[in-house]
This record gives sequence, C-alpha cells and structure tokens, in this order.
Amino acid sequence: MLESREVTKNYLRKTAVNHVSLQLEPGKIYAILGPNGSGKTTWMKMAAGLVKPSSGEILYNGKPVGVESKKDIAYMSTEPYFYNWMTVKDVGAYYQDFFEDFSMEEYHRLLQRMELTEDLKTKALSTGMMAKLKIAVTMARKAKVYLLDEPLNGIDLMARDEIMRSILESAGSDVTLMLSSHLVDELEKIVSTAIFMKHGNLVTVCDAEELRMQQGKSIVDLYREIYGHGGEQS
Amino acid sequence: MTKLMKYEWRKALFPKMVLLVITAIAEIAFLIGIFSKKEMWYGLGIEGLVLCAIFGILYIGIESLTTFSKDLNTKQSYMLFLTPHTSYEILGSKVLMNAISIFVTGAFFAVLAIVDIGIGVASIGGVKELLSFAEAFMSVKIDWNNIRQIALMAFSSALVSWLNIIVVGYLAILLSATVLAGKKGSRVVSFVIFLIISGISSYVVNLVTRSMNEIASFWCTVGCMLIFTVIFYAITGWIMDKKLSV
Repeated sequence: MLESREVTKNYLRKTAVNHVSLQLEPGKIYAILGPNGSGKTTWMKMAAGLVKPSSGEILYNGKPVGVESKKDIAYMSTEPYFYNWMTVKDVGAYYQDFFEDFSMEEYHRLLQRMELTEDLKTKALSTGMMAKLKIAVTMARKAKVYLLDEPLNGIDLMARDEIMRSILESAGSDVTLMLSSHLVDELEKIVSTAIFMKHGNLVTVCDAEELRMQQGKSIVDLYREIYGHGGEQS
Repeated sequence: MTKLMKYEWRKALFPKMVLLVITAIAEIAFLIGIFSKKEMWYGLGIEGLVLCAIFGILYIGIESLTTFSKDLNTKQSYMLFLTPHTSYEILGSKVLMNAISIFVTGAFFAVLAIVDIGIGVASIGGVKELLSFAEAFMSVKIDWNNIRQIALMAFSSALVSWLNIIVVGYLAILLSATVLAGKKGSRVVSFVIFLIISGISSYVVNLVTRSMNEIASFWCTVGCMLIFTVIFYAITGWIMDKKLSV
C-alpha cells in the first residue's frame, strides 16, 4: 500500500504540493485529476522516489519510498526521458538490466501492438510514438504499483482506446494503478477512485461508483464543479 | 553496480570513439612519416599523438563531470534515479568508471607509445640512441635503478589527485543542483565552492606534511588526499540521498 502523510513540496517560494494525505490500495485504479500546476506530477514523482518532500513522508508498505520501493513501483513520466543514443531495443535491454520484474516477452508483445520496431532511434520518435514506447516499457514490468503521468498525451483519438486496453490488460487485478490525465472523460470509464487536486492541495478523494449511485454524478460532472466549466478538458 | 558502470561507459562512448578516430589518423601520419622518411608526416604524427594523449585523458576525466551534471539536470536523470540503486552505488559507479576509462585510455596510449618507439628504434637506430634522445629531450637524467619507485609514486599521485578532483567536482555540481537549485548564479557559486574545497584540502595537507622529509611527505599527502576523497564521497552520497530531487 502506498500512503502519503501530510506531504508538502516547496520550490523556492512556490508550494507545489501542500500537506497531501491519501492512501492507495491494491486492486484499484485511481485517476489523479487537476489542471496544470495542481501538483499531480510532483506528487507522483515523490511517490516514485525522484523528488524529495520538503516535509511529510510517502510510505510504501510502511517504509519510506526509496531503493526498495523502486523495485515495485513503475513510474512513467509525461516527458521523454530515454538517453539520446538509445534505440527501442536498447530501452528494453536497459529495463531488463535494472528491473527484475521486467518481461522482455511482454515488451515485445506490447511493441508489436503499438506498431513499434526495435531498430527505431528514440530521438527520432514522434510524440505519439514516444508515448507508446514509454507505456510499452513501463507496462512490461510486473510491478505492484503503476504511476502513469499523462499516458494519453500525444496519442491520437483512434489509438487511445487501444492504449487504455493495453494498460489495463498489462496491469494485473491485484495492482495499484494511478493515472493522471486532462482527458477526464477517457478515464471515467475505467477508474474506481478519483483524486482531485488544485493549487497543490488535495480537494477530495471520491469513489466513482458511490458518486454515481449516491449523488447521480459522473467524475466529469464533479470535475466541472471543482474547476469550472470543463475549461481544462480537451 | 556493474550494470550501472556498463551504462556509464556507454553514455560517454561517442567522445571515446572520436578520440580513437583522431588518434588513428595521427598514427597513420606517423607511420607514413617513418616508412617514407618524410619528416613532416613523422612530426605531425608525433604531435598529433601527444596531443591526443594529453587532451584525450583530460577530456575523458572532465567528460565524467559533464555527464554527472546532465544526469542531475535533464529529464534523462529519471533513467538513472528510477533504478533501484542507492546514491552511493550510483556515485561509486561513476567514480570507478571514470577511473577505469582514464586508466584504459592511459594504458592504450602507453602501449601505442611503446609500439611506436619500437618502430622508431627499428627505423632510426639502436635503443641507446633513442633513450639518449629521450633524456636529452626531457632534460633529465633517468635513474633506472629507482624507476619502479618513481613509477609507483607517479601512478599513486596521479590516481589520488584525479579521484579527489572528480569527487570534489561531483560535490560542487550536486550542491548546484540541490542546495543552490534555482538560485541565480548557482553554477558560478558551485565552481567557487569547488575552488574553496580544493584550496582548503591543499592547505590542510601542507600543514600536516610541512615538517616531514620528501618521501614521507609524499606518501602522507597521498594518504590525506585519499581520506579527503572518501569524506567528500560520503558527503556527496548523503546529499544525493537526502536532498536531491530530479
């Protein structure tokens, strides 16, 4: 289980994440939602162990995130981060070298599904192809927690369903899956819990099913209530 | 850690290949000069090889610092810091790979020099003539009885001094990316920090060794530098572990 306890991250005079407390449980799909600058990415990076909190702590199975949690948590950044000299094949080899839970077989299957070939140079990939590669290499890990930051960024409308299917198929039923996206309606269909953030603060955490049953609202409806008239959606 | 080292090697492969190509061109010029007895080619070849050896080794050393800076300040840092390795392992792999790169490069140029001297001897004349020429060229009288000790001292001194420079360089770059992150002139400040740390280290070493004889002073300096290197390594690892956000 991943737990955030009163986590704050300050950058000089700006507070990116402000006293955020939440718990992520196995077997659930979370959507972390909010406009740009709401703190979603910073929180995910802290959970992945890339960014150190200014105060508070993030625990994985009761221990602060660090070397051990990196073995179980697969993080996919929204920005491209592969070395320039790498080909698609090198990316797979790199993950195989460093992550015990990485499956080369699954990687090849996902590459085929995403219509990527191993000889492609990463620096020559289009935004959409890069997004597909990031998903393929991240989901080829049999991780216990997946944190995917804007996985649909740069992917055209036609490919989005296919990508979402690949993500859901690759992630087993006992894992924790967290996705951030501006495309709230795309996530509505699959998420069990929505986490709303604004200006670095946690606004609310709500169960999608309960929201529908008890208040007769969708996540998109709540998003509009919190952030205005869907101005952040695309 | 060997896997981390493998990728450290791979990251800096391109400059090594460039160095190899330039060296090959200089070597070809040298061989053309030797076999065709054309002094211009011969001279160009030797000059090229000497420059490649000096600047090549220097660049490979400095390249490690630029790679470290890139690893901290670009998105490629995720590749490194998402791996389940401690800061000390990441840092250690960099230091070791840098030392190995320099050693391999140095050994490569040493072997090349021996081969070229061999070819030169065969072409110009006997070994004695060549050594006399080398002694005259370097304006020193080589004491062949103490050559082992001189070689050991030179190797130890070069190794420890270089390790110290690299680790202090890492510390300065890390301070720029952590404590000074986002602040104006952080790179300049970190360079000043580098100079200050190096200056203080030298001052302390001079203080400790000033009443010793030459040999004792030399080995004490090597020991002190090694201790400083270990201390700076530990401090750098600790800051990476506790403060670094990429």
